[in-house]
Amino acid sequence: MRDIYTVQRLNNYLKNMFAQDILLRSVLVKGEVSNVTYQRTSGHIYYTIKDESGVLNCMMFANKRPTGLKFTLVEGQNVVCAGTVSHYAQRGEYRLIATQIILDGQGELNERYEKLKQELEEQGLFADIYKKPIPKYAKRIGVVTSPTGAVIQDIRNVAGRRNPYVQIYLYPAIVQGESAASSIVNGIRALDRFGVDVIIIGRGGGSIEDLWAFNEEIVARAIFECNTPIVSAVGHETDYTIADYVSDMRAPTPSAAAEITVFDITEFESRIISLKSQIHKEIVNKLSVKKQQLAKAKLMVDKLNPSYEIDRKKMHLSYCEERLFELLNKKIDVLKMRHMAYKDRMPAIMEKILNSKKQTYALLIEQMKVISPLEKLSRGYAYAEGDDGKALKSVTNVKKDDSVTLYLKDGKLKTKVWDVEFSEGK
Amino acid sequence: MEELKDLSIEEGFKKIEELIEDMSSSDVSLEESFEKYKLGMDLIKQCGEQIDNVEKQIVQLSQDDVAEE
Repeated sequence: MRDIYTVQRLNNYLKNMFAQDILLRSVLVKGEVSNVTYQRTSGHIYYTIKDESGVLNCMMFANKRPTGLKFTLVEGQNVVCAGTVSHYAQRGEYRLIATQIILDGQGELNERYEKLKQELEEQGLFADIYKKPIPKYAKRIGVVTSPTGAVIQDIRNVAGRRNPYVQIYLYPAIVQGESAASSIVNGIRALDRFGVDVIIIGRGGGSIEDLWAFNEEIVARAIFECNTPIVSAVGHETDYTIADYVSDMRAPTPSAAAEITVFDITEFESRIISLKSQIHKEIVNKLSVKKQQLAKAKLMVDKLNPSYEIDRKKMHLSYCEERLFELLNKKIDVLKMRHMAYKDRMPAIMEKILNSKKQTYALLIEQMKVISPLEKLSRGYAYAEGDDGKALKSVTNVKKDDSVTLYLKDGKLKTKVWDVEFSEGK
Repeated sequence: MEELKDLSIEEGFKKIEELIEDMSSSDVSLEESFEKYKLGMDLIKQCGEQIDNVEKQIVQLSQDDVAEE
């Protein structure tokens, strides 16, 4: 009799078979995604992939998602899943437990990406010496991106918040599809020619195909040849495109690109204010130091200043002048006094002389009086005068009846000689 | 008399002193004394003018000084 298996036994058997199969342990399966379910609580993803012939149930554990799935899994995508096929007894089905899901075609693109990256790196396009510095205070910022995408919106938001004076020049580019690469190249060249301080190139997140334009060589070369510094902001933070490597700087997101290129006006202003006060302080300090030095120097110079000496000399001169004046005045005073004295003395002497002469004169008069005949007359004597007017000195010349004039003290007598007698003995 | 005009104040004073001495001596006649007196007074007048003149010049000089400053 043939063995009758329990469900459990058969399932266990199948489980073993799946587990032991080398192929099923690590398999790559491709197909179109459908029935995607994200488990809210656990974070596991359940989905199926299908082709014309049939369906394969698949799942990915939450812990594999960060490394195994770089895009949002949605229905209709063609994917390649890597994982293990195992039997799931509870549901009586087998499943592909995926460790990695990539979009179909990505493998080829990855290869191209790696090849180009290596090539360009060898040619030096990524070298740091070619990286232009991003201007700190850009006023004109060019953006090469889709006019309808989130990138330009994010940049505008950040720029508006940080610095409304910065001018954003958008080159509306096609960032996905056939013509994307040339459109981006045109954008870079146009903005470079137009003249901006910095250029942002970017687009939002997507699959490697979506971002592919940024992995094209012509874009890489346009970035390299551009004279204006370029900041790239392509895809998500984890996506690295060739453009990111060639660009002068890579920003993880468009907002970050805006943060890098648009300087914060308030910060700038406060910095200017602080610099201003610093400068002011500095200059004030310097000034006060210089003032002190000047004062010191002035003091020193003043000590040497001839005007001090001149002032001293002047003072001395003025003193001398005064002194001279004084002396002269004194001298004049002395002379004046002497002069006055002479002026008084001379008439005094003259008067004295006059007086003395007068006195002498009086004295002479007195003496004269004493010896004067007139004086004798007062004592009873008389002076006789003859007719001839001559003094009678002898009686011999007188005869009887001659006229004789007798002079007395107080008058004269006209007399007639009565008789003439000769004195005895004479 | 002409040379008296050229005398300095001091010389004038000296001359006056001499005149006074001469006048004071007893053996000089009144006329002579008077001559000397006239001469002396002239000299005194002259010396006074000279002193005034010097004084005036001093005043003028110090005024010039003020004007200059």
